[in-house]
Amino acid sequence: MANQQRIIRLTVTVVVVAVVIEFLGWYFPTHYGSTDTNLFAQAMFIGVAAMGLNLLTGYNGQVSIGHGAFFGIGAYITALMMDHHYDLLGIKIDHVSFLATIPAVAVISFVIGALVGFPALRVKGLYLALVTLGLAVIFPDLASRFVKGTGGTSLVALNGQEVAAPQWFQNWFPRLSAQDQWAYTMAFVFALLGLLLLWLLVRSRFGRSLIAVRDHEAAAASVGINLARTKVLAFALSAMYAGIAGSLSVLVFQNASGDDKLVTFQLSIEFLVAVVIGGTATVLGPVIGGFAVVYIQKWATDQFPSKPVVSPATFGIVLIVLMYVLPEGVVGGIRRLRTWGSRTLRSRRRSTASPARL
Amino acid sequence: MIDRRPNHRTRLRSGAAIALVMVLALVAAACSGNRSTAKPSTTSPSGSTGPTTSSTIIDTSACPAGSETTGVTGNTITIGTSVAQSGTYAPFSAILDGESAYIDYTNAKGGVTIAGKQYQIKLVAKDDAYVASRTVTNVQSLLTDDKVFALLNVVGTKNNLAIRDLVNRECVPDLFAASGATQWGNHQFPWLIGSELVPYPLEVKRFVDYLKQTKPNATIALLKADDDFGQSYADTLTQLIKGTQLKIVKTEQYDSTGSEVKTQVNALANTHADVFFLGATLLACPAALTAASDAGWHPITYMSGTCVSKVLFSIAGPPANGVFSVTPLLDPADAKNDATPAMKLYKTQVAKYKPKADLLDGIVGYGWTTGALLVKTLESAKAADRFSVMEAARTLHDVSGVGLQIPAAKWNTSADDWFVGETFQFIQYDQAAGHTNAVGGGLTNDDGKTAKLTPGDLINRK
Amino acid sequence: MALFFTQLLNGIQNGAVYASLAIALVLIFRTTGILNFAQGEIALYSTYIVWKLTTTGMPVWLAILLAIAISFVGGALIERVIIRPVERSSPLVIVIVTIGMFLAINSLTQLQFGSGEQALPSFYPQHTWRPGGVLISSNTLALVGVLAVECALLYLVLQRTKLGLAFRGVASNPESSQLLGVPVGRILMVGWGLAAAVGALAGALVVPTTTGLVPSSMQQILVFAFAAAALGGFDSVFGAVVGGMIVGVADALTIGYVHTLRGIDLLVPFGLILLVLLFRPAGLFGTTRVERV
Repeated sequence: MANQQRIIRLTVTVVVVAVVIEFLGWYFPTHYGSTDTNLFAQAMFIGVAAMGLNLLTGYNGQVSIGHGAFFGIGAYITALMMDHHYDLLGIKIDHVSFLATIPAVAVISFVIGALVGFPALRVKGLYLALVTLGLAVIFPDLASRFVKGTGGTSLVALNGQEVAAPQWFQNWFPRLSAQDQWAYTMAFVFALLGLLLLWLLVRSRFGRSLIAVRDHEAAAASVGINLARTKVLAFALSAMYAGIAGSLSVLVFQNASGDDKLVTFQLSIEFLVAVVIGGTATVLGPVIGGFAVVYIQKWATDQFPSKPVVSPATFGIVLIVLMYVLPEGVVGGIRRLRTWGSRTLRSRRRSTASPARL
Repeated sequence: MIDRRPNHRTRLRSGAAIALVMVLALVAAACSGNRSTAKPSTTSPSGSTGPTTSSTIIDTSACPAGSETTGVTGNTITIGTSVAQSGTYAPFSAILDGESAYIDYTNAKGGVTIAGKQYQIKLVAKDDAYVASRTVTNVQSLLTDDKVFALLNVVGTKNNLAIRDLVNRECVPDLFAASGATQWGNHQFPWLIGSELVPYPLEVKRFVDYLKQTKPNATIALLKADDDFGQSYADTLTQLIKGTQLKIVKTEQYDSTGSEVKTQVNALANTHADVFFLGATLLACPAALTAASDAGWHPITYMSGTCVSKVLFSIAGPPANGVFSVTPLLDPADAKNDATPAMKLYKTQVAKYKPKADLLDGIVGYGWTTGALLVKTLESAKAADRFSVMEAARTLHDVSGVGLQIPAAKWNTSADDWFVGETFQFIQYDQAAGHTNAVGGGLTNDDGKTAKLTPGDLINRK
Repeated sequence: MALFFTQLLNGIQNGAVYASLAIALVLIFRTTGILNFAQGEIALYSTYIVWKLTTTGMPVWLAILLAIAISFVGGALIERVIIRPVERSSPLVIVIVTIGMFLAINSLTQLQFGSGEQALPSFYPQHTWRPGGVLISSNTLALVGVLAVECALLYLVLQRTKLGLAFRGVASNPESSQLLGVPVGRILMVGWGLAAAVGALAGALVVPTTTGLVPSSMQQILVFAFAAAALGGFDSVFGAVVGGMIVGVADALTIGYVHTLRGIDLLVPFGLILLVLLFRPAGLFGTTRVERV
C-alpha cells in the first residue's frame, strides 16, 4: 500500500519535473521575447547565487552580506577571459568561450571563498556578517583600481560576437540560437546543475554536518565533525555558486562592472532576500526567491512608470509584508499549508469514519 | 511495508507541489506573446540593407534588415532614454525635465518635420540608477518592447560604453550621450555620438591655456574622482602640460560613491600649490571648495563643467567665489540672460510643461538644449529612418540658436569631427551676484580639435 | 607635522560621525538583537525634517530639537507597528524587514523631498582656527562635543534611572524581565525611539559638515558605523565610540599617508576589524555570549 503510493508519487514528481524542464528549457525561450528571457535568466542567476548563500546561511548558519563580491569576481573573470584583447600577467588570453571560463571561475572563487572562510572559524554571527560586508565594500575599490577594461574604465563590455551562442550550440539547437536564448539556456542549465548539486550536498554526510554545526557547534564537534573543514568548505562552495552566478550575468548584461559599492552591496542583499523569501535551508527555496526578487522589483517598477523613485519603496513594502505572511519563506509556507491541509483532511476523515465503526 | 523515511516522502511531495506552483507562476509571470515575431538579433543575415545612399561615416552593410524605420509609426516617432532617477545620481533626473519640456513644446507646435512630414515625438524614459548593467537591460527593453527609433542622452560614460556595441550592431542612433568622454571619437562606433557637453580634454586645454598666459610656472594640485570620469581629467591634464612650465605637484582621489574629500583636500592644501584642479562632480565639488577654504588655501581653482549648477554653487557658498569652469550654454541663473529670446522661451515653456522643475538650474537648461538639439537633428535628416538621422547628427553644420546654446556659438560635426560641444565659454563664478560670468575674452572655438588634442589611445582604447 | 595633526583631527571628526550612528545601532542591537539596516535611512528622514523646518525660517537648533522629538516618536512607532509582528521570528526575518524599511524610507524620502542636493545650515558658526598650521574646525569641536554630551546623557539614562535599569534588564533577559513585571514591549519601543533620536542628531550634525543633503547622504556613513559597532562590540555604547574613532582615524591617516593604498584605503579599517575580531570575537568591549551545552 505504502509502496504503491510511493511509486505514484515518484511518477508524479518525475512527470512534473519533466514538464517543468520541457517548459522552461524549450517552450519558454522559443515562445517568449528577449525581455522575458532576460528577466528569467536574471532570476535564475540570482537563484544560483542564493543557492550557494543558502548552503552557507540556511544550512550552516553563517550569515554573509558580502556575496556580491564573489559574484563580481566571477563576472570579471569570465568577461576578461572572453574579451579577446586581454593580456593577463603576460599570458595572451585569446577569445575564450563562455563555457571554458567556468572551470576557472569555479576554482578561483572556491579558493577565495575558502580564504575568506578562515576567519569564520573564530568570528561568528553578526561579527562575521560585518567581515563579509567589508568584502563587499572593498571589492569594488579593488576592481576600479586594478581592472582596465573597455575604454580604459573598469567596465568590461563584450561585443556581439563574444556573447553570441557558439557555433556548435547553434547547430544543435537552431531554434535557441539568438543571443538572449543562449544566455537564458546557460542560466537554466547551470541553475539545474546547481540545484542538483545542492540536493546531493544537503543529503550527504557533509550536508548533515552543516546542519549539526549550525544547530550546536560544541555538540557537533563532540560527535567527531571537523568544524573547521565544514565551515570553510561551506564558505568555499557558496562562493563558487556566487562566482558562477556572476559568470552567467555576463552573458545577460554583456558586460561586467563591479566598481560600484552600492551595487555590490545591493546584490549581496538581494541574494539574502532571495534565500529568506524562498525559504532558508530548503533546496528549491533560493530559486523561487530569485524569481521573487526579480519579478517583485519588475512589478514594482511597472506600477509607477513615471515615478521610478517609488519602485524601491514598493519593493521594500512587499518585502516587509512577505515577512509577515511567510516568515518561513515560500517553501516553508507551502509545507505549513500542506501539513495543515492534511491534518484537517485526516481529522475530517476520522470524524466521518467513526460513526461507521459504531 | 513500513516507510522508514517519512521525511523523504514529504520532501518528494513538496518537490512536486513546488514544481507545479512554479509552472503556474511561470505562465502567470510571463505575459508577452509568441516569439515567432521576435527579432533574432545576432543571427540575422548580414546582407546589405539600409538606404542605398552610401556614407563615408556610417557603414550600414551589417545592419539588421527591416529595422530602418522601427519606432516610426504613423505620425509618431518614439525615442528612448535611460537616466538615473533613483540612487546617488538621482539629481541627474532633472535633465529629463528639460528634455520632456522641449519635446512637449515641440509637439504642441505641431511636431517635428522630417522630409516634409510632421511627426509627434514620444519619449520613453527608464531608470538605471547610473548602473551600467541596468542601462543595458533598459536599452534592450526599449529596443524590443517599446520599439524606439533612437536613444537620446543616455547619461554616463560607462553606461554608454556598455551599450555602445549593442547600438552599433542594431544600427540604432544613440544620440547625444551625456558625457564629455573622449571615447565617443572612436570611429568603430559611428552609431553613438556625444552631447553638447564640452569634451573633457577641451575643458582642460582651455584652463591650461589660461594658466600659460597668467601663471606659466604654476604648480597644480589635482583632486579626481576614483572612476573613469576623474581619470580622463587626470590623463588629459598630464598630457597637456607636457613641454610647459606647469607641474602637477600632488594628485589625490576620492570615493565617487560619496562626497567625503576633506582628508584629500587637506593633503593637497599642504602643498600650497598655486592651482587646484577639480576632476570631481556633484556634491564633491562644493565639499572640496569648502575644505580648501577651511584649510586657508586660496589657489586658482578650476572645477569640472559638470559641477556648474546653481545648487552646487550655493551649497559651497563664499568658497566658490572666483572658481573657473566652462559651459556650452547660457546660465539660466544670470538675470542678464533673461532678455534673450532663447532664455525667455526656455523659462516660459519649462514653467508651463514642468512646473516643478527648478528653472534656474543649469542641468534643466542642459536637458532643454539637448531636446532642442534632437529636434534640430531630426529636422535636418533627409528621411525618417535611422541611417538618415544618424547621418544628420554626424553632419551638423554651423548649428546655432539651439535651446540655451550661447548665441554666437556654432556646433559642427563631420566625417573628421565627431564632437559637438567644441565651442564654449570660459566662465568664473561670482558669489555675490549668484551667477557665472564670461571671462577670458569671448568664446573658445576648438571646433574639430578634440581628436587632435587627445592622445589617440584615449579615444580608441578598447 | 602640522598636517599630521590636521589629518588626525579630521579622522576624529569623521570618527565622531560614525560613532553617533553606531550608538544608534548598538541601542537597537541591545533590545532587538539585530543589525538595523534602516538606521541610516531613518536618520536621513530625520535630517530632511530638520531641513524642511529650517526652510520655514525656524532656527536650526530648534529644528534639530524638534526633529529629535519627532524621531523618538517615529522610532517607537516603527518598533510598535513594523517590528513587533516579527519580533519573535528568526533574526534573518527581522533583518529582511529592516532591509525593506531601508528601501522604503529612502525612496519615500526622495518622493517627499525630491532627489536634488539641499543645503542644510549648522547651528554654530563655521570657523577654522589655525594654531601653528594645524587646522581645527568648529565642525570637529561641535561633533566631538555633542557626542560627549550624548554619551553622558545616555549613561545617565541607562545607568541611573529606573527606565535604564528596565532597559538593561530587557536587553540581557527579556523573559525574566517580563516575569518581574517590566513592560518589555514599551521598553523595546523606547529603545527604538532612542536610537532614532540619536540618529537624527547624527544626521543633523554631519550633513552640514559634508556640505549637502542628498538621499544617499547616510549610506556610506552607515557602512562605517557598522564597522565601528563591530570593532567596539555590538552591545557596548562605549565600544561604538571607540570603534568609530579608530575607524575614522585609521581611514583618514591611510588616505593621507599610505599612497600605495590609494583608492583602496578601506582595506585598513576593515583589516583592523578582522584582526581585532580574530583575537576578540565579540569586539573590543562587547560581551561574549557563552554557548551552553
